Amino acid sequence: MKSEGLVDHLAHFARALRQRGVRVSLSDEADGLAALTLIDLGDRTETRLGLRSALKIRPRDAAVFEELFAVLWSAQGEAQPAPPRHSVAGPSVPRARSLPAGWPGPAAESEAPAPGEEPGYSPDAVLRRKSFEDWTPTDLEEMERLVSRLAVRLATRPSRRKVPVRGRGEPDLRRSFRRVISQGGEILTLARRARPIEEPRLVTLCDTSGSMDPHTRFLLTFVLALRRVTRSQRASEVFAFNTALVRLTPSLRSVRPGQVARTLDLLASAVPDWSGGTKIGESLDTFVKYYLDELVNGKTVVLIVSDGLDRGDVEPLAAAMRAIRARARRVLWLNPLAGDARYEPTARAMAAALPHIDRLLPAHNLESLERLLPFLAV
Amino acid sequence: MRPEIADLQAAMERLGYIADPAIATALFLAREMRRPLLIEGDAGVGKTEIAKVLARLMETELIRLQCYEGLDVSTSLYEWNYQRQMLRLRLAEQEGPLKKTAGEIEDLIFGRDYLLERPLLRAITRKEGPAVLLIDEIDRADDGFEAFLLEVLSDFQVTIPELGTIRAEHIPYVILTSNRTREIGDALRRRCLYLYIEHPSLEKEIRILHARVPGASARLTEEIGRFMQALRSRRLSKAPGVAETIDWAQALLRLHSDHLDRETVEQTLGCILKDHNDLREMGGGALDAVLTVAVG
Repeated sequence: MKSEGLVDHLAHFARALRQRGVRVSLSDEADGLAALTLIDLGDRTETRLGLRSALKIRPRDAAVFEELFAVLWSAQGEAQPAPPRHSVAGPSVPRARSLPAGWPGPAAESEAPAPGEEPGYSPDAVLRRKSFEDWTPTDLEEMERLVSRLAVRLATRPSRRKVPVRGRGEPDLRRSFRRVISQGGEILTLARRARPIEEPRLVTLCDTSGSMDPHTRFLLTFVLALRRVTRSQRASEVFAFNTALVRLTPSLRSVRPGQVARTLDLLASAVPDWSGGTKIGESLDTFVKYYLDELVNGKTVVLIVSDGLDRGDVEPLAAAMRAIRARARRVLWLNPLAGDARYEPTARAMAAALPHIDRLLPAHNLESLERLLPFLAV
Repeated sequence: MRPEIADLQAAMERLGYIADPAIATALFLAREMRRPLLIEGDAGVGKTEIAKVLARLMETELIRLQCYEGLDVSTSLYEWNYQRQMLRLRLAEQEGPLKKTAGEIEDLIFGRDYLLERPLLRAITRKEGPAVLLIDEIDRADDGFEAFLLEVLSDFQVTIPELGTIRAEHIPYVILTSNRTREIGDALRRRCLYLYIEHPSLEKEIRILHARVPGASARLTEEIGRFMQALRSRRLSKAPGVAETIDWAQALLRLHSDHLDRETVEQTLGCILKDHNDLREMGGGALDAVLTVAVG
């Protein structure tokens, strides 16, 4: 009886954690249950510590865990009557939202050519110079195709690990001797091994605040296309930020080519306050605190996509940028505003970040993104 | 609190490791559930030390596998002793013309005598009872090794093509540590129980100092503790861990300090701050501010 109540209670607790974005799997739940049978359920601290260990709560999820534990877990270890669902979700759960106003969706406007567009080039060339503000949904697919082609040029560096190869490479004794057996004790050929080529890791932080709206959709398409062409998708991470930081990578697992529009809608609903205000400094600070160590290393290129328009305090931003720069191989800042020849990085946030970035690059059309590719190479 | 957990905590303390309830609970659960324990936290908070203390506590052998990029099966699990195998083959040849089938040659040179056991294999073949297996800094190894490790930690058996499957005599107590320079895959994380060690509280740090640097005066110990707490609250690129605190206390002891003064602190700051920018940042006013907090 009692243990049955415990199962329900734990399942309920795990569901609440999942609703708040903490990744708790069924096997974690099973571990949690096993742990609960081993500890003193009357000791609230011990229960809390045991669950934290068995459910594998990471530092970045600790605050949510503590909050929910305080609300949902009764001191006696007896199953509480399940509280009503709405008290679980809490106020900060992002709800699915309708598309923000000003979102250049499929129904968006005509294909009027941009004022500065030059005629007489191949479709690619036209597309490359077209400012993102004038793009249509068909252009998105075209862009995907183009980016895939461009990204092949990403240079690479050899790994430290060694894998079997034919031909050149250093002798691999282990495999050579295994071969000897089939050759009657004589070494006829040497097996060899060499270092495989490694692709760059890419971490993208994309500003999705209101001032970026005309560009966000296209820049994200670019980022997604880039992500797809790198062979090891695990190596590439995407975050969105406006007033808070959201890791988009988990939602990208099931993305297929040709579904850009759907993916973007999906992402927009996953990010609270899309098209809202910006807190660049705080968002990057969160990134530094919980993700920097694990996701960024000497092989990683960090790509920040933002117009740098933020009226908040710039000190946290500068500190976060310094920390990122110290760890990453290269820090690139893509700014759609920088496409204008008269642009000077004088916005306070942009000015504060400038000393800590390797390159400030324009990002108003595809041609400008093309220029970015050499910098992504390891 | 379960008496076993309190006992564990007390026993660790007797061996010089000051464990808080979080550490004792996680270690107790890992031991009872026979699951690997993944420990994360900043450098120098005492992750590796836990495995060492556990080995002494269980009065068993500590087998350590230090991970690095490029670590593979031949350095972590087993390797054939090629020189010896080669020698054996040549000897067999000299004894007479080699009229053996491939199978006979294999039997000749692929025996346990010709096998070099690396840490993982040694940990599961140990006959005298379960060992403590420390897989240190797993974040430094690459993804491929992580997948391989997952297999070993799930079944506690390994298959050597020439020998067959070797099953664990005793399932070892496994401790994995990570400095979080890379995200550990979900699969491996699920296999383990988890413990995140924070920097210690003031009270805990002072108790650690008492245990590890007993020669230091009460005043010095307390001032060091407060200094470290104040230091960590600042924006540093590399916050010093307890390991640094202990080093520093020992250095100060050698210099016959019984309290903190500006000159000595300046001279020995390299014991705790190991980043050029941090050292520069702490020069001048910042150091005075921290010292004021520490000395009161």
